Amino acid sequence: MKNVLKYAVAAVIIGFCGQVCAAETDDDGALEKYNRAMFSFNQAFDDYLMKPLAKGYRAVTNDFVRERVHDFFANLKEPASVINHALQGNVSDSGKSGGRFLINSTLGLLGTFDVAGGWGLKKNSTGFDKTLAAWCVPDGPFVMLPFLGPSTPRAAVGSAADAFADPVYWANNYTNFSKDWEKYSFYYGLSALGFVSLREEKLDLLDKLTTDAVDPYSLIKSAYMQNRLKIGSCKSVDEGQTPSYDFDFDEDMDEE
Amino acid sequence: MKKLFAVLSAFVWLFSFQANAAVDSEAAENFIKKVTNQGIEELINSNVSADEKKARFTKLFNEDLDLDSIGKFVLGRYWKTATPQQRTDFINVYRKLNIQTWSARFDEFKGKHFEFKGVENSKSPDQVFVNTQVPMEEGAPAVVKWRVKETNGRMKVVDIIIENVSLAQTARSEYTAYIKNSPEGINGLIKNLKSRLK
Repeated sequence: MKNVLKYAVAAVIIGFCGQVCAAETDDDGALEKYNRAMFSFNQAFDDYLMKPLAKGYRAVTNDFVRERVHDFFANLKEPASVINHALQGNVSDSGKSGGRFLINSTLGLLGTFDVAGGWGLKKNSTGFDKTLAAWCVPDGPFVMLPFLGPSTPRAAVGSAADAFADPVYWANNYTNFSKDWEKYSFYYGLSALGFVSLREEKLDLLDKLTTDAVDPYSLIKSAYMQNRLKIGSCKSVDEGQTPSYDFDFDEDMDEE
Repeated sequence: MKKLFAVLSAFVWLFSFQANAAVDSEAAENFIKKVTNQGIEELINSNVSADEKKARFTKLFNEDLDLDSIGKFVLGRYWKTATPQQRTDFINVYRKLNIQTWSARFDEFKGKHFEFKGVENSKSPDQVFVNTQVPMEEGAPAVVKWRVKETNGRMKVVDIIIENVSLAQTARSEYTAYIKNSPEGINGLIKNLKSRLK
């Protein structure tokens, strides 16, 4: 059963990737052209909207409030961890994430307090992206997504799938709102707060990372793709591979 | 008998060669302990003036980082085509800029401490990775690996790998992409970097 599901998903993704995954080498530079254009667009979006919002959010909240908001959104990701730990064959981790979700959603006041963490059930999140990696699905090339930023085909499919495990999605679908605007403001309002909170957490880091960068796009692409390799792949692919950071330091490499 | 002796001496020679080539793990770890202690405990957590801090940081940077090797690496294939003047200019500005950005970035580690997690061999016999972890307030600790190279019995840091991201590799990707797209090539990069010095 697991295998049938695995191949079905792999088939869908390979279909989805189509041209994109095949164009790994990007010989004509079309993908890079698109990525750089999208990077500029995202930067403008960030400069004019997300960054000011994140700064405003920081100004009107204190550490305590921000931590509660952070914990609330982190808790919403637990169901995705429950499912994906199970798909990766880690039954005990799946149970732990399930326990965390139950404890924190109730005693932790809708997840705003990480009570379970204090009891020794530490956060150990995973997602569909990691499940796909464990199933040997390749990552594909670097893609800059509109609004969402750096990604790869596998990462994008992973987060889209994880969104279906988000309790807010289900609450939104199964609650009887009397008016349409109530429904939309609930879902989009919460999502927007989630994005602003996420952006606030990255304010200092992103500023520091790109200070003195001569080509911020290439810097972010390189760092993102190296970090992606941390996820690893299935055993048959990983075996016998030297880690990506153990490149030959003294040889002149003619890549890129 | 003669044959046996030849085989034996070949073995001895082989192993003594390996022993000479490999970097002493304990010494490499002690070296990074010294660097993190000096860089963090004695610099960030101490109450000296900003000027004094910068002076100490510059000294640490020049003594313990192999900026010549790193500079050569980050220029990638453009190192070969660069003139001696361009090479010197690049290394100089790269050194200054790194001291500037890193003295600011090291503040990130304020109040944090490194846990040492052993040493890992690299493909190059004169280099090893010293594994460290920095506990974070939330989630898993950050994994920081220090690539240490031994030249003539002296150890120096040539790369720092944070969460699988090699700083040298990242700089190489960035700088070579810039040179490729810049009409002035390497000189364009040197000019751009110079303009960032404060």
